[in-house]
Amino acid sequence: MIIVVDGLNRHLFSDVLDEMFELRARVFGERLGWDVKIEDGKEIDEFDGLDPTYVIGFDDAGNVVAAVRALQTTGPHMLADVFSAILDGEPPIRSATLWESTRFCVDTQRLTRGKGENSLSYATCELMIGSLEYAKAAGVQDIVTVIDPVMDRVLKRSACAPYDYVGRTVPMGKVSALAALVDCTDERIASLREFADIQENVFLEEEEALALFNSKKKVGPNVANRDHQPLTELEKYFVEQMHSARTKEEVGDVLKLIEALSDRFTPEQKTALLSTPRAFAHEA
Amino acid sequence: MEIIDLSTLPGSETRYTEFLKQVCEKFNMDHAAYAGMNPSEGKVAGHVTYNDDWKEHYQKHDLVMIDPTLHIAKRSIAPVDWGRLERSPNFQRVFRDAHDFGLPSQGVTIPVRGPYGDIGFLSVTRDCSKEEWRKLYAHVISDLQGMAVHMHDNVITSDDFTGALYHPNLSTREAEILQWVAAGKSQQDIGDILSISHRTVEVHLRSSREKLCALTTPQAVGRAIAVGLIGTG
Repeated sequence: MIIVVDGLNRHLFSDVLDEMFELRARVFGERLGWDVKIEDGKEIDEFDGLDPTYVIGFDDAGNVVAAVRALQTTGPHMLADVFSAILDGEPPIRSATLWESTRFCVDTQRLTRGKGENSLSYATCELMIGSLEYAKAAGVQDIVTVIDPVMDRVLKRSACAPYDYVGRTVPMGKVSALAALVDCTDERIASLREFADIQENVFLEEEEALALFNSKKKVGPNVANRDHQPLTELEKYFVEQMHSARTKEEVGDVLKLIEALSDRFTPEQKTALLSTPRAFAHEA
Repeated sequence: MEIIDLSTLPGSETRYTEFLKQVCEKFNMDHAAYAGMNPSEGKVAGHVTYNDDWKEHYQKHDLVMIDPTLHIAKRSIAPVDWGRLERSPNFQRVFRDAHDFGLPSQGVTIPVRGPYGDIGFLSVTRDCSKEEWRKLYAHVISDLQGMAVHMHDNVITSDDFTGALYHPNLSTREAEILQWVAAGKSQQDIGDILSISHRTVEVHLRSSREKLCALTTPQAVGRAIAVGLIGTG
């Protein structure tokens, strides 16, 4: 599921962007070893200050698992500046209907192999579909995308092979970087959708994206025991009971007991115990 | 109807308005407006097809300071449909006034970012049903992007300082392709000669036209010859 974040709505999505910058730090800093600036676990460069558009993909638990950044080629962009080595000193292509995409990344740690939802292939295709459809709706016809050879291979295997390349492949960190051309035509979008077996709308409304992103916070141990107080004897007892429960009935009995003794702890404790006993148990 | 290249129109101020009128006619719009901000001059240049009453009102009330079609659209790389601005209080303010002057609140602003911190906006409006607008939008938005950049580049290069910076900087590939066009080859031929896809040829031609501030390929070839970027074929 995809959300498009730009200068108009980014104030709503600062936490989502932070998670994306962390993903970029892991991908470009650690895995690919590019010379990027990482501060506080986030990879942010000067182009992030130019109000680019981000196309961001979530898995179904609300984690940011894929992202890409788009800029106009009429103004400042990476190929005209920091990636100029790829163009071998040549001036970049400049066109109103050509956008540049950079920082294309997917979370290889969280995503699985295969083609199902929450797989690497699915997330990549969904992000491509989202990017191409967003660009097409803006009247953009082609995208020049700076990628590494692995991503190039992924595109070729996903029925989305670049139709050409500009400049040359240059060494960059542990891998190398190249600039590929991809068109935003209905044909390409259709072939990607068929390959990934994605027929439905991939875009989330702003409210839906926020709800999905925020939903994952509720299952974390922090919410179950937000005040980080030591567990009371009674809480420990319930956690042990929950641990040793082997059947649905046994779990049900524990929950009933929590309900029956609810005057013995605060409403917050009760909610935490009832809604996320497993997270709570993990904490104990 | 072919739109006439801006730099071939006579006069300095009226030609921009003339160009905007042609954009309206060609793309079925009621009105068009351009605003450009050039950091080297530090001012906003505006050209509109609106009537004088509205222009006067807009200036008198300094609406340019709060106009969300400029200040909010600046933060987007994509055209901003005014439907996205409706929630902004300044939108209500500006368009309530505009309504009194008979101007519709249905439109789109296309932001253009230039290389030197310059930024331009082409806005077009059309009073019609939402459904009709959606269709028209999808049909013309790609061409309007080209018009926005053409208008912006012409306005910006008319300033001496920025004009000097905007010198057309063709890549070897772009010059090579233009040279083959000058020699009478088709895009398909050129793709075959250079062993690149004909879409790549098209992308380079689009880029060359924009760098040379031309709307058509023949104009681009003429200009490239005139400034000595390619030979006479």
